[in-house]
Amino acid sequence: MSRVLLLLSRNSYRAEAFVSAARGLGVDVTVGSNHRQALADLTPGGALTLGVGDVDRSVSTIVRFAADDPLAAIVAAEDDFALVAAAASEALGLRHHPVEAVRAARNKAVMRRRLEAAGFPSPWFDVASVEDDAEAAGARAPYPCVLKPLALSASRGVIRADTPEEFGRAWTRIREILKQPDAVTRSGHGMAEILIEAYMPGREVAVEGIVVGGELRTLALLDKPDPMVGPFFEETILVTPSRLSESVQREIVSSVQRSVAILRLDDGPVHAELRVDGERASLLEVAPRSIGGRCSTILRFEPEATLEELILRHALGMSIDEYSRAPGADGVMMLPIPEAGVLREVGGSDAALEISGITGLDLTIPVGQRVVPLPEGNRYLGFLFARAATPEQVETALRAAHARLDVRIEPS
Amino acid sequence: MSDKAKPTVEFTNLARDTVLRFMKAQGDDSLAVRIQVASPSPLDPRYEITMIEPAEQCPEDIVFDEYGFDVVMEPESAKLLEGARVDWIETLTETGFKVENPNLAPIGSKPLEGPLADRVRQAIDQFVNPGVAQHGGQVTLVEVRDNIVYLVMGGGCQGCGMASVTLSQGIERILRDQVPEIEGIEDVTNHGEGQNPYISASK
Repeated sequence: MSRVLLLLSRNSYRAEAFVSAARGLGVDVTVGSNHRQALADLTPGGALTLGVGDVDRSVSTIVRFAADDPLAAIVAAEDDFALVAAAASEALGLRHHPVEAVRAARNKAVMRRRLEAAGFPSPWFDVASVEDDAEAAGARAPYPCVLKPLALSASRGVIRADTPEEFGRAWTRIREILKQPDAVTRSGHGMAEILIEAYMPGREVAVEGIVVGGELRTLALLDKPDPMVGPFFEETILVTPSRLSESVQREIVSSVQRSVAILRLDDGPVHAELRVDGERASLLEVAPRSIGGRCSTILRFEPEATLEELILRHALGMSIDEYSRAPGADGVMMLPIPEAGVLREVGGSDAALEISGITGLDLTIPVGQRVVPLPEGNRYLGFLFARAATPEQVETALRAAHARLDVRIEPS
Repeated sequence: MSDKAKPTVEFTNLARDTVLRFMKAQGDDSLAVRIQVASPSPLDPRYEITMIEPAEQCPEDIVFDEYGFDVVMEPESAKLLEGARVDWIETLTETGFKVENPNLAPIGSKPLEGPLADRVRQAIDQFVNPGVAQHGGQVTLVEVRDNIVYLVMGGGCQGCGMASVTLSQGIERILRDQVPEIEGIEDVTNHGEGQNPYISASK
């Protein structure tokens, strides 16, 4: 039986989805994680403990393991292990994006430079170290602009500045965020930098796809109906299929395909984010990973399959040609944290679930835990899921259900 | 519609009277009661009981009329409901029909006994729990039915982002190794209510 190595961050939302997809495909699973599994000593071959930052060491561990237990595929569930997965796949000759492509796409500054050098339409951008003089960096920037710490993900620490004064305040705030332990871990890997970009107006969209031999296979185009104009860029609702015109959708997909080709992301999942202003689509980023959090739950395919199954199928060398997104509209709302404090209660769950079209509510932070909103925070309260005949109905259901939730946070 | 069958589902007096009272209130004594197994899962068996008009009956339906009204079931549900008892309950928290069905007894409702359950419990106590205890977790056997093990993950395992990995890569391997006749393992934990998970998912 084939064996797949699943690389899961210790705080992954997607462990169950990937493990279940692998088992559904009938392959043996080994889980690699930066967390020692509780029963690892008793179940040899079931789990590997790997470091996220020390790629060479992790690759050596995987190659040694594969000598006794041959691997048919290595798949990273999240961005953290993307580089380890790419390097180990390269060492073992397995299907994956090339290491250099993953390295470039994971660093937004390198990605911007590569795309610009290839003539890809890019906004004004600059890269500065957090130790640099903020005033000088602010003097170079056009306004409005957006500051993005390279070490962080999921909109954490991303702040819009309309004036040099706001730039200075945003810079100070990002420096503080980068002192958080998890941020220090990542910024220690050469990512203690801030990407400064000209603000791009327009609505945001996301593209979920798998690149097969250099060709982008678009699996879903998702609208983000909430305006994301800053100063922070909290993601809330994602709905698919897109309500944009077919010509704009073609432009979006074409833009992602071109960026994937420039970066040489050849084989594996990609998740791209773009801004759409009128008929123009501008790429924010394309990442060598699939959609994060529990959002993949809304992507259903025919014949029946999950996104995780398609990613595994592709990695295992199986065709995904026959799969397409299932009919109907689906959406998810990442529940925002309204204020900092200790979560005391989330009421109204039953009432929220009674809304027509709502298919699930997943509260992922236990009562009693401290919660922090953006831009400092890095978690959502949970996820609301909806399914209906049209994207409009899905969006309406998500907003109505969210309005019924009563989130009680005790300020700390 | 088929000929009237022998009654296979018992209605308590209270359930019968509730149906008759409803029919009287509607002024329609041709109404029938349809019982359907909406979900046959032993984890969460669910039933639908609705009043229907004669035109809503299908030719393949199984029908009996022991209680002063027709009871209608489609054949698959009729098989699963054989020997079931329908009651009517009114409490502070719920009002409605309640179905007690020995064929779909919810997991955990049967006594935990027998050699297979003993061996599974022993494997959990000896191998699994000392391991998961290092993460503040504990695993409890709920039932072994048809060679499927149903268990609950508590403490640090409840709501843990890695619970599914612990289950598939650890617990399942150990139990299959120690008790080879096991055919499956189901986690029946309500992970959403975990108050102190060892790892909270955030990525």
